[in-house]
Amino acid sequence: MDNMRLEEHRIEQEPYYLPQGQEVALAEAAYNSGLPLLLKGPTGCGKTRFMQYLAWKLGRPLITVSCHDDLSTSDLVGRYLIKGGEAVWTDGPLTLAVRAGAVCYLDEIVEARKDTTVVIHPLADDRRELPIEKRGELLLAPPQFMLAVSYNPGYQSVLKDLKPSTRQRFVALSFAYPDPEREAEIVAREGGVTGDLARSLVKLGTMTRGLKDSGLPEGASTRLLIQAGKLMGRGIDVRPACHHAIAEPLTDDPELLQAIDEMVSSVF
Amino acid sequence: MDADLLKETFLSLVAPDLPNDWDVEEAVENMAGLDEHRCHSIMNQVPVIWPVSHSLCFDYLKAAAGALACIEPAALPIWVNRTLDQYEKNGLRSARRFMADVEKNFLCPLRGESGLRFAEAAGRLLPYLRGLSGRKLELAAAPAVYTDTVTIFVPPEITLFQEEADNFFLYKLIITYQWAFIVQSTLTVSPSPENGKCGERAGDELWLQGFLRSFSCPELAQDLYHLLETARITRYLEEELPGLMRHKRELAALLEPVPRSGAGKPSILAALRDLLLQREEGITSSPDLMQSCRSIVSGCRSARSAHDSIRATMALYPLVQDVEPEYIPLEPLLYQGGLRLDAVRVARQALLAELEERFVDVLATRLLNLPGQSGRPAEPMFRREEQDASSPPESGIALIVAGGRDQATETAARTLLLTVNNKEIEVGEELNNLASDIISELGYLPAQYVTSAAGRAGRGYAPLRGTDEAGGMEELTAPVTYDEWDYRRADFRKNWVSLQEKDLPLLHSSFVQETLSRYHGQIVRLHRQFEMLRQAERFVRRQKEGEDIDLDAVVESLADSRAGLAGSDRLFVRLQRDRRDIAVLFLIDMSNSTQGWVGLTIKESLVLLCEALAVVGDRYGIYGFSGMRRLRSEFFHIKGLGEPYDDAVRQRIGSIAPREYTRMGPALRHATALLRRVEARTRLLITLSDGKPEDYDDYKGEYAIEDTRHALLEARAASIHPFCITIDRQAHDYMDHMYGAKNYIMIDDVRKLPRRMPELYRALTR
Repeated sequence: MDNMRLEEHRIEQEPYYLPQGQEVALAEAAYNSGLPLLLKGPTGCGKTRFMQYLAWKLGRPLITVSCHDDLSTSDLVGRYLIKGGEAVWTDGPLTLAVRAGAVCYLDEIVEARKDTTVVIHPLADDRRELPIEKRGELLLAPPQFMLAVSYNPGYQSVLKDLKPSTRQRFVALSFAYPDPEREAEIVAREGGVTGDLARSLVKLGTMTRGLKDSGLPEGASTRLLIQAGKLMGRGIDVRPACHHAIAEPLTDDPELLQAIDEMVSSVF
Repeated sequence: MDADLLKETFLSLVAPDLPNDWDVEEAVENMAGLDEHRCHSIMNQVPVIWPVSHSLCFDYLKAAAGALACIEPAALPIWVNRTLDQYEKNGLRSARRFMADVEKNFLCPLRGESGLRFAEAAGRLLPYLRGLSGRKLELAAAPAVYTDTVTIFVPPEITLFQEEADNFFLYKLIITYQWAFIVQSTLTVSPSPENGKCGERAGDELWLQGFLRSFSCPELAQDLYHLLETARITRYLEEELPGLMRHKRELAALLEPVPRSGAGKPSILAALRDLLLQREEGITSSPDLMQSCRSIVSGCRSARSAHDSIRATMALYPLVQDVEPEYIPLEPLLYQGGLRLDAVRVARQALLAELEERFVDVLATRLLNLPGQSGRPAEPMFRREEQDASSPPESGIALIVAGGRDQATETAARTLLLTVNNKEIEVGEELNNLASDIISELGYLPAQYVTSAAGRAGRGYAPLRGTDEAGGMEELTAPVTYDEWDYRRADFRKNWVSLQEKDLPLLHSSFVQETLSRYHGQIVRLHRQFEMLRQAERFVRRQKEGEDIDLDAVVESLADSRAGLAGSDRLFVRLQRDRRDIAVLFLIDMSNSTQGWVGLTIKESLVLLCEALAVVGDRYGIYGFSGMRRLRSEFFHIKGLGEPYDDAVRQRIGSIAPREYTRMGPALRHATALLRRVEARTRLLITLSDGKPEDYDDYKGEYAIEDTRHALLEARAASIHPFCITIDRQAHDYMDHMYGAKNYIMIDDVRKLPRRMPELYRALTR
């Protein structure tokens, strides 16, 4: 049964990923040395896509866990369930990944509570082991296993920061929005729009990223630009597409909304 | 209505004030001819204006009769409100001017026929500009359009079009053009970057200024250059922002001046402008001249930088300089604005000075904080250097900019290396950014910045931002102004109150110690009670999901199913985490009426509460308020929200003492502003007062109650829960109205307060 669960996580087709630098080579080197990865960067800049691409390239299944502040250790490691009057152990996603030598990706790791993050410590250093307390078992990670975590340094409060003891176990890759040409290429390809339109979308995206001091916590991500492109591909006009795919998701503030709409009408 | 009756009505309205008879008579003179209904509607507004300004009120009475000639009596309150807005924003004169022309100032905007004022559009324009530029450019209203590279100045109002949207577009166009002048370095052009840049120093004039002065008629040269640049910027914008320029073309007919009619032949410059902006052929007296201009102009079509425009200016100038006997400056296009190089120079100087100051400051701090480098050992070296600042090679400190010079890497990240005694030291991001800002402004990093930082560090300089203990009351911040609600106007009196945050003096008294020993038994009980509140984590049993199996539930469920019953599926134990995410601000009435045991009891309650809260760990702050009149509202800091409950806080609680009056509104608004900055699931604002809000001026009675009520409503709108504890002998019917029925509690016997308050707090935050 676990095998079936695992197969769902295998990536068959090559995901589209345009490298920004030498992150792929770095990640592969880390994988071959058994080192865990820490990805940082703003939302929608390609962290998750990078992980998919990496997992495909390594030929390993990818198990993603989105962390939240109610995530407990047993949500990661596993728990006993009662089935037909018997207590049956069920592996959590992390255990599953360790057993099968998969890539385990903990998205937005800082959202998880600090006591939960500690379970990955023995996995993330040279011990590479996962103790399962309730079963009295100590799992040794096979060389194929890789641990990767991500977080967004942009909107974290002081409370939500990674502990140095956690941080200092990882090889860290910093992601940013790609440079305009590459971003346009990505938007054109993923959003299915022409190169000119993609370049204008990227220009608009760059403008919204300049609004940081004016009350916008983060500018439009590459993901938003792609979504706007997709709407346009379905026959929605440029302005409504940008309004609904970029302006509205970014802010509720009426004046900022209007300002972004003004940018749209200038750029297109 | 006759004058005597009017006068009498007026006096009864402003009582107990007693204005001069002749003032009143003069004021109501104009109203004598009006019917009773109109007179009443005029008089109804007197109580609204009188407390704001007596002279404005007289002016109003004089103007109102005239105003009623063009507006309905029903619209009078709106007109009065606008007048008061003017008064509060710009003073009596402006209000008078506003009242003088009812048609233009009031009715036109009401009918939507007016232009668009900058103040209305600024909220949209500023983020637009910031997004466009990606940096912190400012916007301001000014009589003429120009930019000094830091601020873009736009007209205070645009009335060119009928439609507001078109007027807004014109604002947008102006801003976009001025922004483009800045990014395309029209104003800050300098000779080729490879050479000569190092010659430019802060304080020197712009290179462009010197360049233009080298012509026999600098004005003409400047206009030529500006024109060429405008043409280049237009092309740049066509490429960058096609949507904007498409809209501009739609409005072109209105935007650009009508070809001069009748005034004889157009000036050569106007003809050139037509040529450059690709409109109809310029018509001038000298077609030959135009022909030779045209060839230069067509060369400019491919201009890519301000240097190309400089070259074109040099080529064009000899052709046009003698065409007209006297150079008459050409009125610039509205979106083109003016070229004010002096303003640019001043702004750049200010910017550079600020950058230098910050750079030196940060670098000095960095040097002081170097491990093993701080203090003694480094001092002599820095000293020597200070005396001999001209020879940096000798010093132990050097800043090396890597990869800055050549053009290709201009925008790429520059690395800044700080070496102290040949050891490389990490400079940090802030310093790096500052340095690259300076380099992009000046082209290099002046050595004296580094030496003066070293000098500053040698003197043991650390930026002292805190204030010195100057005995007595300490002013913490600049005064803040707040609006005040006037129920008669159903609107705010803008910026009506000035509030000053102050620190209470530290008094050494045994008050806290005495209180602690007097209430010793109660404090022990409080600790226990409040510990119950702390329950942050607990196990909950019989859950559908959870970390662990609830064995009791499993056994029960198994037994049930063996017995043929349906077993429960709630078989797990879950760890429940309840975070107490609470921020509380206590606002203490320090008015004169709390003199004596009321004040004392409030202080005792605070001590008990602090003891109790120390156990729970909630964030809380304590502030006092008092003051006299609207310009001296005082807000006393006793304990900040993040501040620990330490000796200083205890001493400040001890020094809480009755002061002046109870102007509640501004204190509530300030407390709301403080709480608004705090992130917490529950935010509480608890006021301790002893009765009605009241101040020395007209802040009393219904006005004070309504303002307080409104301030509380504002707090609620900011998702802050206000709660008031009132110490009074008897209940008053206004309290329900002022606080809202469930948001206050009255304590009739002040001796109960110390015991009640912790209980109340528990109930409120559960």
